[in-house]
Amino acid sequence: MLQNLFTDGLVIGSVYALVSVGMTVILGVLGQINFAHGEYYMAGAFAAWWAIDRLGLSYMASIPLTILIVGILSLAIGYAVMQRLVDVSFDAGIIATLGVSLLLQNTATLIFGGTYQIFDGGWLEPMRVFGEDIAQQRVLIFLVTLVVFGALEWLVRKSTFGKQMRAVSQNVECCHVLGVDVRRVVLITFILGTTLAALSGVMTAPITINIYGAMGEAITLKSFAVIVMGGMGSIGGTLVAGWVLGIMESLVAAYVGLQFRDAVAFALLVMVLMWRPSGFFSTKARY
Amino acid sequence: MTGANAPYGSLSWRGASLAAKEINAAGGVLGHKIELVRGDSQCTPVEGVLGLQRMISSDHIQFVLGDICSSATLAYEPIVENAKVLLINAASSDPTITYKAGVGGYKWTFRNYPTDEQRAGIVLKYASEQRHLHKIAILSVDNDYGRGAIALSKKFFQRYGITVVSEDYFQASTTEFLPELNKIKSSGAQAILMYGYAASSRLVARQMLESGLAGKIALIGNGDFTNPQTIKAAPSVLNGAIEAAAWSPDYDSARSKSFVHDYEAAYGGEVPQVHAFTHWETINLLAAAIRKAGSVDPAAVKQALAGISFDGATGVVKFDNHDQADLPMILYQVENGKPVIKGVFRTAVVYPKP
Repeated sequence: MLQNLFTDGLVIGSVYALVSVGMTVILGVLGQINFAHGEYYMAGAFAAWWAIDRLGLSYMASIPLTILIVGILSLAIGYAVMQRLVDVSFDAGIIATLGVSLLLQNTATLIFGGTYQIFDGGWLEPMRVFGEDIAQQRVLIFLVTLVVFGALEWLVRKSTFGKQMRAVSQNVECCHVLGVDVRRVVLITFILGTTLAALSGVMTAPITINIYGAMGEAITLKSFAVIVMGGMGSIGGTLVAGWVLGIMESLVAAYVGLQFRDAVAFALLVMVLMWRPSGFFSTKARY
Repeated sequence: MTGANAPYGSLSWRGASLAAKEINAAGGVLGHKIELVRGDSQCTPVEGVLGLQRMISSDHIQFVLGDICSSATLAYEPIVENAKVLLINAASSDPTITYKAGVGGYKWTFRNYPTDEQRAGIVLKYASEQRHLHKIAILSVDNDYGRGAIALSKKFFQRYGITVVSEDYFQASTTEFLPELNKIKSSGAQAILMYGYAASSRLVARQMLESGLAGKIALIGNGDFTNPQTIKAAPSVLNGAIEAAAWSPDYDSARSKSFVHDYEAAYGGEVPQVHAFTHWETINLLAAAIRKAGSVDPAAVKQALAGISFDGATGVVKFDNHDQADLPMILYQVENGKPVIKGVFRTAVVYPKP
């Protein structure tokens, strides 16, 4: 039972981490919170649903197509909106990304209708892991998350592009002086972050099953809580914060009450802001 | 009726109009023709009461069918009591309407529609007596509907020998049920009693599939379990799911079939839904009561209705001392991915002591 709660929590935490890490890299490089982040998760779920339900593709084939579709979408939004947010005030960023959020939600409702679409795909048959039943899809989500986080750590620490990302996040003016193309770095980071949200959307759709325009809202809010807990811009911190949130939610749902589940993220957020305002791994603490 | 529930109003009107047309074509009741007038309650007590008072004072109605919405029906009870107009409800499911009627107080209110309490009891009766499900876990939506249905179900646990192993309520927006399902799995529950909406039913069903509960724990209660879209989410989990309905067009009785046939002929092939049926049936019930009374005087008809034994489409209709019709409900069970009618079932209501 307890072991079950931990595995469930780890998988759900992995989903949170996978969505949130996109938000945290965008925040790190651009200095703006992407309040439309959950909408790319929604777009990913819808793109995969469309590929399976309307084009008749397999779930496997729908994953790369989803990444491609959301990649193109975020290229357009990156050009039109996000590139303009370099070095502008924080409130302008909030208004702009909230606007994008409304636009994407309502476009999805306009195209696909206001009712729930039902996602038909994925590998839901249970398999035995350490003597417990768990859906293959959940095992896959966990493994994909580990791979993605490993790759991201490598990208940011070792690759040239990662060095440019870190440079932009530290000092935009110096980057201009040194010839780093800031707009290009912002655009690529944005596409990377949003396609990770879309990947998370397509990976969890077989479990969340109901696809609708506003499904990303709750994800945006939880992601925000996760990146604050993880220390705004820290990749490893986001993974741990996602896992902590997932496990805490499972424990609260089982032992306190299912109706309190969605309050856990915000209760944790408040506690972190009170005692560790720079995240779990910060050396700065408030007593 | 206008507003969000407008379709139910017009469907009820269609059913009632069809009954009036049929009765009038056959010579009316005791030589009188039935004339229908309608008012718009917008599903609110305020608008409903205004409309009802207008109908009483300017249209001089003797009988009223209504409302669809329980909150409006509750507001009509004192008004028909003062006006001595006979109210027969055919669509509201809140049990308190008839708690307060008959020996409970209001003498002019009758209801020919199963209550939420009867629904809760019938589901548990079938689960316990026919399926031998006695250990249940409660998993319902955290609002008036979900908590209300569970509170009513609790009145039947002792009668049907049911023990509860866990009790949980979820937000309608919850997408993750595995921790709860794992808890239920290790509790030895035979069934999950759930009152919720279709979206949550699909999630619960799919996550039951994931946690290896398919075929081991049955879903009972109400949550669109018999809807093809829900079944499609996890057919192996939904097999064995139980749900009750007041009426359905595929119910097999001669009277029900002939209503469906006549309704389709009258409205261009439109398949009637439950409200159209209950209003058609209730106009016929009223006509039978008038014939029995031998008078159109509302007080005489009220007397006749209280003692009537009417051959309805789902069985004999009789009223108890709270003027609530002791109605059977149609029980559905999902078998091989399809909803199957398992017959009609009744249960007695235990009224709260005044």
